[in-house]
Amino acid sequence: MAAALFAAERGLSCIQIGNSGGLLFASGLLDLLGVHPVAEGRLWRSPYEGLAALARDEPDHPLARVDAASVRNALETFVAALGSAGLAYAPLADRNRKVLTPIGTVKTTFGVPRSMVAGSYALEARPPCLLVDFRGLREFSAAQIVATLGDRWPGLRHQQIEFPGYEAVPELYAAHLARALESAETRGRTIALVKPLLGDARVVGFPAVLGLARAGAVHAAFEAALRIPVFEIPTMPTSVPGLRLQGALESAVSARGVQRRQQARVRALSFEADGGSATLELVGIPGGERVLARAVVLATGRFSGRGLTADRGGACESILGLPVVQPDSREAWHQRDFLDPAGHAINRAGLSIDENWRPLGANGKPAWPGLYAVGSILAHQDWMRAKCGSGLSIATAWAAVDQVARQLRGNGAG
Amino acid sequence: MSPVLFQTALYASLALCALGLVWRASAWFRVRIGTDARAVTPSRRIVALFRGSASALFSRRLFAVLGAFFLDVLLLRRLYTNEKLRWLAHLLIVVGFTLLVLMHALAPIVSAKLFPGYQPTLDPYLFLRDLFGLMVLTGAALMVLGRRSARRDLTQTRDRFGAAFMVLLAFVLVSGFLLEACKIASPRAFYRMTDQFIGTSDPRKLAPLRALWASEFGVAFADMKRPIDPLLVEQGRKLNSESCASCHAKPVSAFVSYPLARMLAPVTSVLDEGHAEVWLLYLHVFACFLGLASLPFTRFFHVVAAPISLLVDAAARDRASPGQGFSSAGRASRRALALDACVRCGICDSRCSVAPLARYLGNPGLLPSHKLLATGALAGGRLLRTGHEDEALRAADGAFLCTDCGRCTSRCPVGLDLADLWEAGRGDLAAAGLPTPAQWVQARPALDWAEFLQARSGLHDLYDPDASSALLSAGRSTFSRCVQCQTCTNVCPVVAHSIDTGHGIDLTPQKVMNLLRLGLRDLALGSRMVWDCANCYQCQESCPEGIRVADIMCELRGLSVQRLGSVRDWKAPA
Repeated sequence: MAAALFAAERGLSCIQIGNSGGLLFASGLLDLLGVHPVAEGRLWRSPYEGLAALARDEPDHPLARVDAASVRNALETFVAALGSAGLAYAPLADRNRKVLTPIGTVKTTFGVPRSMVAGSYALEARPPCLLVDFRGLREFSAAQIVATLGDRWPGLRHQQIEFPGYEAVPELYAAHLARALESAETRGRTIALVKPLLGDARVVGFPAVLGLARAGAVHAAFEAALRIPVFEIPTMPTSVPGLRLQGALESAVSARGVQRRQQARVRALSFEADGGSATLELVGIPGGERVLARAVVLATGRFSGRGLTADRGGACESILGLPVVQPDSREAWHQRDFLDPAGHAINRAGLSIDENWRPLGANGKPAWPGLYAVGSILAHQDWMRAKCGSGLSIATAWAAVDQVARQLRGNGAG
Repeated sequence: MSPVLFQTALYASLALCALGLVWRASAWFRVRIGTDARAVTPSRRIVALFRGSASALFSRRLFAVLGAFFLDVLLLRRLYTNEKLRWLAHLLIVVGFTLLVLMHALAPIVSAKLFPGYQPTLDPYLFLRDLFGLMVLTGAALMVLGRRSARRDLTQTRDRFGAAFMVLLAFVLVSGFLLEACKIASPRAFYRMTDQFIGTSDPRKLAPLRALWASEFGVAFADMKRPIDPLLVEQGRKLNSESCASCHAKPVSAFVSYPLARMLAPVTSVLDEGHAEVWLLYLHVFACFLGLASLPFTRFFHVVAAPISLLVDAAARDRASPGQGFSSAGRASRRALALDACVRCGICDSRCSVAPLARYLGNPGLLPSHKLLATGALAGGRLLRTGHEDEALRAADGAFLCTDCGRCTSRCPVGLDLADLWEAGRGDLAAAGLPTPAQWVQARPALDWAEFLQARSGLHDLYDPDASSALLSAGRSTFSRCVQCQTCTNVCPVVAHSIDTGHGIDLTPQKVMNLLRLGLRDLALGSRMVWDCANCYQCQESCPEGIRVADIMCELRGLSVQRLGSVRDWKAPA
């Protein structure tokens, strides 16, 4: 998604193949770098200082290959595009923020949606705070958060209410509530239920269900009616912020002229010798399709995204069978302790690239001059433990698209 | 042939044909399809016809009607856009048969009047008659071959009368060619003519003419010595030009009959002795009369109804969309007309989006051509008969499992508004007490159905992988990537709006998928979710793992009808 967005912003003619898969599982928070070194679990207040340390310690880490200015530009551009699609983020600073999780733990992250940022401030200042949840919404428990944090946040309390109109429904789903709150009537009834519960609270938190496509307006309406800052706490995946992020990104890339083939899969990818065009044969759409491209960006993810597949023999790259950097044997994939803070070797598996973001073939040279790889399919990183998933995707996409643009300009394609 | 016999047979067949036409056409004003049609009397429908015709004839719509006549009726434009080969076959038949009737069958009142020198044994008529006959035969052969090469499965409707009529048509043509061939080769016919026009049938006096007719006109004289003397032939040419040429051209231009006559040469004497020329004439003529009399009573009545349907549509075409230009009375007649105008081409069946389901369920009642027949049978009171409940239920399943995609209507070469017909037919089925699948399935909770199914069908294993291995809902690979993330449920508008305990859904899409993963498919068949699914495809489009949730829901509905339908109880209303 990020690569398609940046390519379109640079005026390149771009087609995006396949769905955005794991994006739906996102929390809406944009991590840049939270933890380094992973084994030590060291948290960084400034992600850029963390990146500098990462570059020193792990020069092969994909993020170590992107300079700080490019990382800033990439994230600013990405967040601005989301803003243009109606999903506003708090201004990006040079520091990480802390946010609450639905089980009351604290997460270190970088980019925070505007609807969540008041929670970040509240977590620092810890003023009297009310957390509200809805009966039947299984993926969020205000009581659990208070139970976890209450001893360190005396003014933190919780209340459960019935979601208006869903009183007879035993099980609620976050997306349905989010859509329902886009109706002024449901919003008004919800606010009317919350108002008497505020008491001395100076800030109020909700599960992230305050609107879907019109989340900004719903959040603003809650703040205006309750007259105190309102914040959302991400719920368990798949969450409303994930749906919002996906929706906003889809709008953003479509608005910039990216052609999308969401339901398609690449059955075969072949290249002309010495540059030229790549031919992608698509299946999964009526009649199939054949796409000719001068450059291909592989952003297929790791195992969950199906960029890599694994069997008893090892991990393979799914489309071209590119060499995968991985432990020598299957026995070395995992540590003995599943929760080992250092993580597992298989979680650093992926593609090796040259200095221009081109994956290497079996001979150690770029597999094809116009083939690039970005995101979590790249080797030498454990994005989940380093809390750098979004940053990795966005920054490497930015850097690789920069190379694509240079290549195409060099070819006279512009 | 005796003129009395000929005329008696002709007028009898004409009378039968006319009576049949009136009876069939009267159905357009009598037959009621759709609950709205019940409120319209036949007299109102007749008045609507006259009003509609008058308003079309005296307005600019007349041009649309004329255009439709040339493009749709004569040139079969709609068929051309659908299937070129079938169009060619149909055009050959229509053009060949029409011209054959005008030039040959109606020769005394058409050809003889238009072309004063007309003689059936002169060119170009000799050539044209064979050409038109061959066109019809070729077209018919193309159609038969097309039908044979098409899938011979439940998509074809049985029509014995139609098949018999086709055989009759072929018989008329073949007997015509044989008759002409017999006449060409027959010495008996030769001597009859010489006796009449030259005044002798003595072979010795006619030797030159015999030589010419044997060598150039195909007459198979058994006593002719070969090789034929060329001088004798030349002498015969003079006599021929004096006595024969004004009525007889060389039959070689009858490019089908003449070679046939040459083939019959060895047996000509036997045929002559058996008066083949006479009885072939009787067979040919009476087969024509039989065809004429039976036409209104077969599906080939569409040669009348289909053009009328096309012209009626054209007369109302300048309105917003098809069907909009009709009053309720006009619509009622149009539906009844559609039953007769259907040409049974099967294009609708081949384009039907539920055809795969029909094949899987073994229920042809889902297919448009069968639905049309069932609609007619219901309107005619032939569908709901005690003891034939299963037939009625299968027809109802077919009607209600239709997805209303409209492909049958958009592809119909006669432009029938089938979508309107299906909707009206469903109204009749519901009014007759036939429940929709959603109604009879939802009459029991899903768990009840599963237990009932197990008790009635004696199945102990709810998972039946062998019988359904090709299906999405039973395929292990279908669900291997499902992580139960409940995205399908989160985006489902049906779940979002099921907020009433009395009418809420029982299982969410994600739970249905989970039941299938566990091999508990029969537990899901009667679920409200399966039957309330709006087919919006949001689940399928949003699924991060690419699982075909909406397609599976559609499949489950088909499976419900098949599996739960086998154990349901239903009696035809008294």
